[in-house]
Amino acid sequence: MTRALRLLTYGLTSLVGLGAFLYPFWLPEVTQQSNGALAHANDSALMMTLLVGLCFIVLLLEVQQDAVGAKTIALLGVLAAINATLRFIETAIPGPGGFSPVFLLIVLGGYVFGGGFGFLLGALTLLVSALVTGGVGPWLPYQMVAAGWMGLTAPLCRPIATSLERIFFSRHGLSPTHHASSIELWTLAVFAAYWGLLYGAIMNLWFWPFAVGPAQMHWTPGASAWETVQRYLVFYVVTSLAWDLARATGNLLLVAVAGAALLRVLRRFQRRFTFVYMPTVAGGEKRAEAAWTSR
Amino acid sequence: MDVSVKGALTSNAWRTASHPQRSIHSMAWMAWAVAIVAIATLTRNPWYLGLMIASVAFVRQRCAAPSEPSHATLLSPVRFSLLVITTAALFNMAMVHVGVTALFTLPSWIPLLGGVWTLEALAYGALNGAALVSLFLGFSVLNHATSVRSLLRLIPRAFYPVAVVTSIAVSFIPTTLQQIEQIREAQAVRGHRLRGVRSWLPLMIPLLEGGMERALQLAEAMTARGFAGGVEPRDRWPQMLTLTGFVGLVAGWLLQIVWRQQEAGAALLAFGVFLLLTGLWRAGRRHPHTVYRPEPWRSRDWLVTVAAGVTVIAYLLPLFERETLFYYPYPALSWPAFDWRIGLATLGLLAPALS
Repeated sequence: MTRALRLLTYGLTSLVGLGAFLYPFWLPEVTQQSNGALAHANDSALMMTLLVGLCFIVLLLEVQQDAVGAKTIALLGVLAAINATLRFIETAIPGPGGFSPVFLLIVLGGYVFGGGFGFLLGALTLLVSALVTGGVGPWLPYQMVAAGWMGLTAPLCRPIATSLERIFFSRHGLSPTHHASSIELWTLAVFAAYWGLLYGAIMNLWFWPFAVGPAQMHWTPGASAWETVQRYLVFYVVTSLAWDLARATGNLLLVAVAGAALLRVLRRFQRRFTFVYMPTVAGGEKRAEAAWTSR
Repeated sequence: MDVSVKGALTSNAWRTASHPQRSIHSMAWMAWAVAIVAIATLTRNPWYLGLMIASVAFVRQRCAAPSEPSHATLLSPVRFSLLVITTAALFNMAMVHVGVTALFTLPSWIPLLGGVWTLEALAYGALNGAALVSLFLGFSVLNHATSVRSLLRLIPRAFYPVAVVTSIAVSFIPTTLQQIEQIREAQAVRGHRLRGVRSWLPLMIPLLEGGMERALQLAEAMTARGFAGGVEPRDRWPQMLTLTGFVGLVAGWLLQIVWRQQEAGAALLAFGVFLLLTGLWRAGRRHPHTVYRPEPWRSRDWLVTVAAGVTVIAYLLPLFERETLFYYPYPALSWPAFDWRIGLATLGLLAPALS
């Protein structure tokens, strides 16, 4: 029941959120049908902003249940502080254009501690750094949703890495412990690079209506949704692909270089963070010792 | 580290309200910001945009304390605004080849840039830039005039865990900065230099290790002081209510725009909003809390909130000549219409500057 509700929330909010992000492509076609005029095109930008905000609220209400217990809350808070600090001193770290080190911890944190943790880490990192540097603005919900999605989807790497490892080991007949981390690492690196591009594309969609006007601007009568997509792609390639490629390459490099060491640290602390203390009523030394188990 | 970051941190984000007699409740500031977002997303009429930018600039002059050193900002607001407007105008002219007043024509074999460059596209791009500028200006006032603590208090009670995590993170940032500095000095003594991605690891690992240690200590301290660490009683009602409300809201809105069922759509939409709010209220009831030092709500806050509300209503509801909002220079540039009542309502944004 709980699990079903959670999956339903993930599915519905992702679907609606995706629809809201992609509205310049489908909305003109839908609203045009009856009399040739665009009925709601003028209000649509505002409505879509509200929808993205709502998706975020519903998703957050569900996901925040993962932040239960003092240990998880403290860990999330400290990691978000580290990540936010890295974000605003990123100028001190040498790197190309859209490169930012924050995505590394979001991806690895979500991968190790679970999707809900990753979502909260991603969203709160951007919230905290905006609060501290004075960067609060209407773009903040979009950034939080995008970074949250990144952390939420990070655990998807687990089955991919496992199946890749299985294929690789059955072919080479190696012991699974030897190469496990390098395949895992490359999966994560490709994932982070992919999200580096996707993050840019999502933030671009926020900006697009401001750059070229409301929906009808890039929509001419008779143009299909696919043509609008093509135009957007051209726009994207010209204006921001270079920037996003720098981010993607930066993510790939960072995970490849720092991923193994960071994963080791995170996993070590995961074991220390997830012990459960169960007080026993009676039974002497042996049972009290067994009570300190890893979850 | 950059000194300006630290300076900015201490001077503006950590600053509590330095003019207590003139401070405005953060909730009232939020209402003001919502009005700005609504106007900037809705209208492209140069009259209204100009009025809004002028009002916001005036409020910035009065409320965001000018005592701050100007070297912290990279560009002065005026230069920044001009830059944004020019870029947006040129960009739009290069991308959109619609309109009758041609300035010049590039050969059409050039992808994207080729075609007629028109005055209409230039004007519309400049208006888009002006909308962006008003957003930036408005939120820079908000960021200057409110403290981090008061913004944190705005997180609704339903998101209690999020609020706790955020306030922990905000309080840990100065420590983290200090630690980064210490690690960097320690590594520099050993001959470490920042060069490329690989040299970043000797800074990152100690930072993460130290942070995790501190998180463990913090968790122990929280538990020792009685922070409830156990599993919460499972109450699924808030989730179900909000999810159902969300579905109802989206369905109602789709009914309105796609299937043209105005009444049924509006009813479903209202019902969805009601369910959503009920769910959030129920989730918030789990965490009763008291405020140690409440922000006072004065008559001035009422003034700001009501004025922002009037502005939003004038723009959103079809009371006045709402068609004038959607100024559209294509295909031929025309003189934008102006409704003085909407213009007057825009001046409601001046309320924070009155005192």
